[in-house]
Amino acid sequence: MADESDALQRAVIIDDEPIVGRRLKQVLGKMGFHVEVFTDPLSALEFMKENPFDIVITDFKMEEMDGMEVLRRAKQMNPDSKVIIITGYAKPETAKEAFKNGVFDFMVKPFRLSELKESVLRAAKNGASG
Amino acid sequence: MDFFQGLVDRIKKTFTGAPPVTASAIRQKFERFKKVLHCNQSALEIIADMGEKLSGDYLFDRHYIETTLDELSETVLKCVHNLNALCDNRYTELYEVYDNIHDRLFQILKGRQDRQGPPVILLNEITKAEYPVIGGKALHLAKIINDLELSVPDGFVVTTRAYHDVIAYNRLVSKVDRLEGFLACPHADAVEIEKVRRELQQAISSIKPPPQLLEDIGEAVNRIEDQVGKRTRFAVRSSAQEEDMDFSFAGQFDSVLNVEPGPEDIFSAYKTVIASLFSKHVIEYRRTVLEGEGQMSIAALCQIMVDARSSGVLYTTDPLDPASDDMVVVANWGQGEAVVDGKMPTDSFRISKKDGVKVIEEKIVRKREGLYLSSKGGLEKRPIPEDLQDKPCLSGEQLLELGRMGIKLENYFKHPQDVEWAVGVRNRVLVLQSRALLVTETQVIERSLLNLDDKYEVISSGEGRTAQQGIGYGPVKIVRNIQDFRDVPEGAVLVSPRDMSLFVQIMKKVSAIVTEVGTPVSHMSTICRELCVPCLVNVKGILSKVHDGMEVTVDAEERKIYKGKVRELLVYRSCQQMNVFESGDFRLLRRLLREVSRLNLVDPLIEDFSIDKCETYHDILRFIHEKAVKELIDLGKDQNRLLKGLITKRLDLPIPAGILCVDLGGGISMDAPEDHCEFKHIESIPFKALLHGMMTPGVWHTDIMEVGFRDVVTSMINAPTDALDGQYSGHNIAIITKEYVNLSLRFGYHFNIVDAYCSDVPRDNHVYFRFLGGATDIIKRSRRARLIGEILRTYDLNVKMKGDVVTARITNIHRKDLEWVLEILGRLIGFTRQLDVHMESDDAIQHYLYAFLRGDYEVARR
Repeated sequence: MADESDALQRAVIIDDEPIVGRRLKQVLGKMGFHVEVFTDPLSALEFMKENPFDIVITDFKMEEMDGMEVLRRAKQMNPDSKVIIITGYAKPETAKEAFKNGVFDFMVKPFRLSELKESVLRAAKNGASG
Repeated sequence: MDFFQGLVDRIKKTFTGAPPVTASAIRQKFERFKKVLHCNQSALEIIADMGEKLSGDYLFDRHYIETTLDELSETVLKCVHNLNALCDNRYTELYEVYDNIHDRLFQILKGRQDRQGPPVILLNEITKAEYPVIGGKALHLAKIINDLELSVPDGFVVTTRAYHDVIAYNRLVSKVDRLEGFLACPHADAVEIEKVRRELQQAISSIKPPPQLLEDIGEAVNRIEDQVGKRTRFAVRSSAQEEDMDFSFAGQFDSVLNVEPGPEDIFSAYKTVIASLFSKHVIEYRRTVLEGEGQMSIAALCQIMVDARSSGVLYTTDPLDPASDDMVVVANWGQGEAVVDGKMPTDSFRISKKDGVKVIEEKIVRKREGLYLSSKGGLEKRPIPEDLQDKPCLSGEQLLELGRMGIKLENYFKHPQDVEWAVGVRNRVLVLQSRALLVTETQVIERSLLNLDDKYEVISSGEGRTAQQGIGYGPVKIVRNIQDFRDVPEGAVLVSPRDMSLFVQIMKKVSAIVTEVGTPVSHMSTICRELCVPCLVNVKGILSKVHDGMEVTVDAEERKIYKGKVRELLVYRSCQQMNVFESGDFRLLRRLLREVSRLNLVDPLIEDFSIDKCETYHDILRFIHEKAVKELIDLGKDQNRLLKGLITKRLDLPIPAGILCVDLGGGISMDAPEDHCEFKHIESIPFKALLHGMMTPGVWHTDIMEVGFRDVVTSMINAPTDALDGQYSGHNIAIITKEYVNLSLRFGYHFNIVDAYCSDVPRDNHVYFRFLGGATDIIKRSRRARLIGEILRTYDLNVKMKGDVVTARITNIHRKDLEWVLEILGRLIGFTRQLDVHMESDDAIQHYLYAFLRGDYEVARR
C-alpha cells in the first residue's frame, strides 16, 4: 500500500505506446500513487529535473532514448529512486546490464498487472525503509 | 465371462484373410498420430493464452500480438503437415484454407479489416461480422437492437468500406495516407498536418459517389420505407471508428438532420459528415486523445428522422454524485438539439433506481420555444403552445420507461451511460444514442480507495482469478442451474458453483459474476470479456459466504468482494475515462481472436464437416483432430490386425462392452499381460473414470444383457457382421494415453463416442460426447436422444440435439469435476443402451430423467 501520510508516492511512467501509460496510470492511481505519464523519455526527464519522484516505470525500447539510459539518468538525479523497466523484447544480457545499473525490477511483457503491483509495492516499501 | 470369451473366439474364426500389416508401419502411424495430437494441443494452448490476455489482468503490447500470432500460425501449419504425413497427403486442400485464414489475419493485423464487408447495411441486419465496418455509434445501436431489444429508429449504415471506396474512387488515397502518416507520428509538423487536412476537407466537398453506391443507398431507403409503410426523411450522423468507444468525440462531427430520402440528397449529407473527419477540431482532438494512432475511417448512420414530441438526455448515473442511486433526465419539447446545445431552458428530473424505478424530483421550467422539423429540411424554431409551456414535457409513465431503459443500458454496458432519446409521435420512447458517461477523475477518488478494508466488511479477499476486470454492485443471486435464470433480477451479482457458457443469456443484466470453480479461459470467461462483465472465477467457498438478496460489491481488479455498497468503488468506476477494453490493442487482439478461435465445425454429424467449411484456425485444428482419430480407428477396425496384439489389448470387464484398447503411452500399466488387460490395469485418467461409471452396479442391466446376448447370436446369423453387439469386433476401440481417451462404442445400431482430455490443468481439459442411432423407429430413438440431452444438460454440458443425434461438450474444467462428468457419461452409456424400446411417449423422457438423477438405474427393468 502506498504511504498513508499526506505525501503520496510519486511515480513517473514512460512508454511510447500511449495506451500502456494510460493503463498503468489507472493501476497506480488506484493504489494511491501520484502519477505522471509521458510518451517520450526526453520530456519525462525534463519533468524529473524539476519535480521530485520516487518510482519510475519505463519502457525499454523507445525511439529517442532507451530504458537503460532513462535508468542511468534517473539514478543520477535521485539515487534512491526505484526504476522498473518493462519490455516486450527480453534478452538476458539486457536484463543483466539493467541490474548492474541498479534497476529495481525488469519485467517482460506480457505480464500480469498484479505482478507489477507487487513489484511497485516492494519498491515503495523498500524506499520507505531505506 | 466364459460365454463371452467363446463368442470372441467364434468371431475370430469368422474373420480371416485381411492382408498383414508390418509392425513397423503401424508404429510409424502411431508416432505420426501422437505428433498430430501434440501439435494440436500446443496450438490450442496458444489460443487459450491469447484469450486470457484479454481479461484486463495483463499488460501486453503489439509486439506480443504479432509474435504470438506468428507462433500460432506456424504451429497450425505444422499441424496441417502432420495430418498429411499421417494420412498419406489426403488433406492437402487444407494448405489453401490455411493460407486464406493466414492472409485474413494479417490484413487485420495491418488494421485493414474496416475495408471488407458490405458498403451499406440495414441497422437491424447487422451481425458481429459487420462490427468492424459500422463505426462506434452504430455499433452501440446495433448491440442495443440485437441484445436489448430496445426501440431504436430504423435506419442503415454507410460503412467504412464505402468510405474507403469513396476515397479510392476519387483518387484521394495518397493524400489520406500522408495525413495518416503524420498522425501516426506524435511529433509531426503541425503546419504540414494543417495543409493536408485542409486540402482533404475541400476535396471531399466535391467527391463523386463510386458506381453502385447510390443504388445501394436507394435500395436501403426503399426497404426502410417499406418497413415503416411511408415516405420518410433521414438523420445522417457520423459513426467514426473510435467514436463513443475510448473517447466520445461528443459533438465533434457534423450531422445533417431531416434529409430528403433521395440517394443524391443522402449522399450530399454523407459528404458533410465524412468531411468533418478532416475538420480542424477533429484532427486536433484526435492528436490529443489518440496520440500516435494514424489510421482513421468513418461510417455514416442514416436513421429515420423522428418527429419528436419531446427529447433529451438521460444520465443513468448522476455525474455529480456517482455513488447515488439516481438517474438524471433533462428534456424539452421537440428535437433534442435544443437540449444538447444547452441554449434553451429545459425540464429536469431525478429518477431513483433503487428497488424499482421512481421519479423523485421534477423541476419544470417555462419552455417558450422548441426545435421542430422544417418542411424545407433541417430544423426550425417554433413557439410552444401556451398551455404546454409550463407543463412537464414527459409524462410520469414516460419517465418510468426511460428509467427502466437506463437501468438496462447501464447493466448491459457495465458503465454509466449518457443516452440521447426522443419520444415519437406515438408516444414511444426511442434510443437515439448511448455512450459511456464521463465523470471527471480526481486524486480525491484515488485516495479514497486506500483503506476500504477498514470501512467495509470483506467477504473474500485475494481468492480466485480475474476473468474480466471491473467493478459490480448488486444483490446476490445464486444460480445453480438453468431454471434459476428466470429469477435473476436486473443488476444482480450472479454467484454460481461453476462457470457455464449458458450464462450468456443473462449476462446483459447482471452487474458481476462470481463462480466457485472455473477458469479465466473458459467459454464463459471469453463471453464475459466480450460483454465486459466483471468476473471472478475459482473463488473458494463463496457460496457458503453469501445468500440470495445480500448486497455485495465485487472488485474484480483487486479480487475482493465486500458486503454492501462500496460507494468509493462505484465512484471510481464511473470516473474511468478510458475503457481499456476498447483500446486499440485490445480491439485488435479481440478481433484476431474471433477469427482464430470461433468454432464453426463443431460436430461432424450435425454440421457440414468439410475442409471448405473451415473458417478459422480452430476449425482447422478441430478438423485435423477428427480426421487423425478416424485414421487410427480405421486402422484399428480391421480386427485381424488388432487381435495380433501389435497395437491393441483386449479389455476384459465384468460387463460385455467388448472394448479394444490402443495405448499411446501411459494408459495401461506395465504389468498388464501381453494380449489383454483388466480394469485394474487402466491408468488413463479419463478412461478409468468412464469405465468406472459404466460398471456402476445396476447401470449395465444384466437381464437385458441376456436378451442382448440372444440378439447377438441372432444378428450373427441375420445382420451384417459389422452390427455385432458389444463384442471385440473392432468397433469398440479406446485410444488412450495417461490423460486422453477417444472411445468409440457401437452397440447394435447406435454409437457412442467420447473424446476427453483430463489433466491437472483445467484449461486443457475437455469432454466431447456424441450419441446417435438406435434400432427402433425414429420417434422412439429421438426420445432417447432427448432424454440423453436433458440428463447431460443438468450436468452443465453444452448440448446440441438433432433427431436421434446428441452432441455434448464441456471444456475448461477441473480434473475432479471432469472425472465426475465422465463417470456420469459412463453410467449414461450403460443406462440408455436399450432404453429406446421403452420410450413409448414423451412422458417417458421425464420419467427416466428423474430416475437417472435419483440414481435409480434399474428402473427400466420394472
